Amino acid sequence: MDALVADAAERIFADHVDKPLLDCAEAGEFPQQLWQVLCEAGLHLVGTKDSGTGLADILGLLKVAGRHAVPLPLAEVWVAGFVLGGEDSDGLTVVADDGLVAAWGRRAERVLTLDGRLATEFSVESGANLAGEPRDRIRVDGASEIDLPGEMPELMATTRAALAAGALERTLELAIEYATTRSQFGRTISRFQAVQHQLAVLAGEVAAAVRACDGAIEALDATGFGTQAAAAKARVGEACGIAAEIVHQVHGAMGFTHEHTLHHFTRRLWSWRDEFGNEAFWQRRLGERLAASGADALWDFIAREG
Amino acid sequence: MFSGLTFAPARLPDEAEALRAEVRAFLADQMPADYWPNSDFNEGHSPEFTRRLGMRGWIGMTWPKAVGGGERTFFERYVVTEELLAAGAPVSAHWIADRQSGPLLLRFGTEEQQRRYLPGVVRGETWFSIGMSEPNTGSDLASVATKATRVKGGWRVSGTKIWTTDAHRNHYIIALVRTEGTPADRHAGLTQMVVDLKGEGVTVRPIANIAGGHDFNEVVFDECFVADADVVGEPGNGWQQVTSELGYERSGPERFLSAFRVFVEFVRAVGTAPSPEQSALIGRLASHVMTLRKMSISVAAMLQEGANPGVEAALVKSLGNDFEKMLPELVRLALPQMPPEHPFARSLAQTLMHSPSFTIRGGTREILRGVIARGLGLR
Ligand SMILES: Cc1cc2nc3c(=O)[nH]c(=O)nc-3n(C[C@H](O)[C@H](O)[C@H](O)COP(=O)(O)OP(=O)(O)OC[C@H]3O[C@@H](n4cnc5c(N)ncnc54)[C@H](O)[C@@H]3O)c2cc1C
Repeated sequence: MDALVADAAERIFADHVDKPLLDCAEAGEFPQQLWQVLCEAGLHLVGTKDSGTGLADILGLLKVAGRHAVPLPLAEVWVAGFVLGGEDSDGLTVVADDGLVAAWGRRAERVLTLDGRLATEFSVESGANLAGEPRDRIRVDGASEIDLPGEMPELMATTRAALAAGALERTLELAIEYATTRSQFGRTISRFQAVQHQLAVLAGEVAAAVRACDGAIEALDATGFGTQAAAAKARVGEACGIAAEIVHQVHGAMGFTHEHTLHHFTRRLWSWRDEFGNEAFWQRRLGERLAASGADALWDFIAREG
Repeated sequence: MFSGLTFAPARLPDEAEALRAEVRAFLADQMPADYWPNSDFNEGHSPEFTRRLGMRGWIGMTWPKAVGGGERTFFERYVVTEELLAAGAPVSAHWIADRQSGPLLLRFGTEEQQRRYLPGVVRGETWFSIGMSEPNTGSDLASVATKATRVKGGWRVSGTKIWTTDAHRNHYIIALVRTEGTPADRHAGLTQMVVDLKGEGVTVRPIANIAGGHDFNEVVFDECFVADADVVGEPGNGWQQVTSELGYERSGPERFLSAFRVFVEFVRAVGTAPSPEQSALIGRLASHVMTLRKMSISVAAMLQEGANPGVEAALVKSLGNDFEKMLPELVRLALPQMPPEHPFARSLAQTLMHSPSFTIRGGTREILRGVIARGLGLR
């Protein structure tokens, strides 16, 4: 990933994305100012033809975005830009899933569908995921056909794996910070072995999720991206549930409040593990391939593609 | 920035990948007849197989040529070891010497010790045991009480080691003993020594395990003489030395592949028309193996660069051991019950009965979680 671009994104997200902004976005308000700042920095063009960035940058930057729970449909905008080649416009083009549900469909000028249509005329029925991120069902009234890259469902699934990997890192940080400051029985709760062990399990899940996600990113310029993407979405999804459970337990009642920021991350983990195929979906995809090639090819498959 | 642990992407280089086909051809030819494959590095003992591996140059691969080694990379060794485990080859005879005792002697031993012991290891003829645990010393390794007393030209050692894998078959044990002070002195005063398991003053008693097998033993030292020439490193430096072994000991493919043959037999038993649930389980297990393998290779890359990834290694082992235990638990419910002689049932039973040891040997799950917690700054 381009380090300069990543630093720029990190700085902008850190400066602009805070709890008030996340709460407003959840109430349905598009974070216009943040979007403007990103456009001025050229970050709306990540992945487009002349931007000098590609899919690895998109996925790498989504990890950064996930760490901050950025309330914009960056995965969709960037992937759409990659697919369509891009033009310098601050109008939104987003991607809809199989069920024609699109992030921020209500704000979009165009919607790219997974069956290869670019909708310019469509109606929208508002909805939201568990994290309150707009997920709007669209009905296409007018569209043109376009050529999609081969592994578009896998690519979209990987965007969620990348976002979740970033958010997982953040939940580990939040949990460590809380455990080392909250005191009970005359000491910080981080001193209790039961808490330490829970955080050690959490660290394992986070590390596994990040490594699985990076495996899919690495495979972009090798063969076997589809396999790596399936494994990554499945493994990251599993980590999401385990991690959310642990970080909430460690935060006690405080983490169950709306006031604390933890839920902005855990509700996203619960949402993102479902979007563009949950664990079971991608496990089946991967498992069907392995079963078809047979027991004696199992190791070879893992060693070659794993 | 991020306060967790990072596993930088690393790939096995081409020269390492090139070995894969060679190992498979070797296995196709050399797997002992009527041997039931088992991916647990502790199971499966074949002196003949180990000697043939040695002849191929696949023991002590990373060691200097001066001691018979191959001066190859950690990555090349990684490919060979993972291929052997995945195939379920009988590797226990040389495993400890190749993974642990040899590197220890190369790092801390004298040139004379290296010349005396390592060429035999490389040939697959000399096997080593680990002598750390004692009846009253398990996780709390610094409480070692086996005592060595200074005598002319060396030491007299008395005490008991326990759970010593293959002490009844191996030639030497590297024992951690107290050369100074008392167990209360903890990390100070510990020393490692090579002791001849067939020598005078050493008694090896078998201990049967729950699977009915005989792998580990009790080793009693009764005024056993150890020459100065067999002290490894400086007397008193034992603690630093044993902890430096752990990066090698904990992150390898043997820490997540122990149950792999059960996975293979599960896929075979499921056949080509799996139910959606069976497919999902196969995919789930594969997503875990693929991820653990990547993490393990990341640690191998850190070792290759000379880093000391103790915490990362503990994390791979902990996550990998939990996976090895989860695997038999999940697959058993995804097929109808099979008769005991069915290959799936046989592999499952074998692995299930050894599975309690996965999260105990080489550092318990609880101890590893403590190491990780320290790495996170919690203790
Ligand atoms: C198959 C097998 C092969 C082995 N081979 C060898 C060998 O070749 N050489 C050798 O030296 N040793 C060997 N061992 C021994 C192994 O290293 C020890 O079993 C291990 O270090 C744990 O010690 P223990 O069994 O005495 O358990 P204990 O340390 O008594 O622990 C019992 C339980 O208490 C928990 N516990 C202990 N301390 C703490 C703590 N501080 N916090 C939380 N929980 C704690 C442990 O996690 C465990 O669950 C082998 C063990 C097995 C099972």
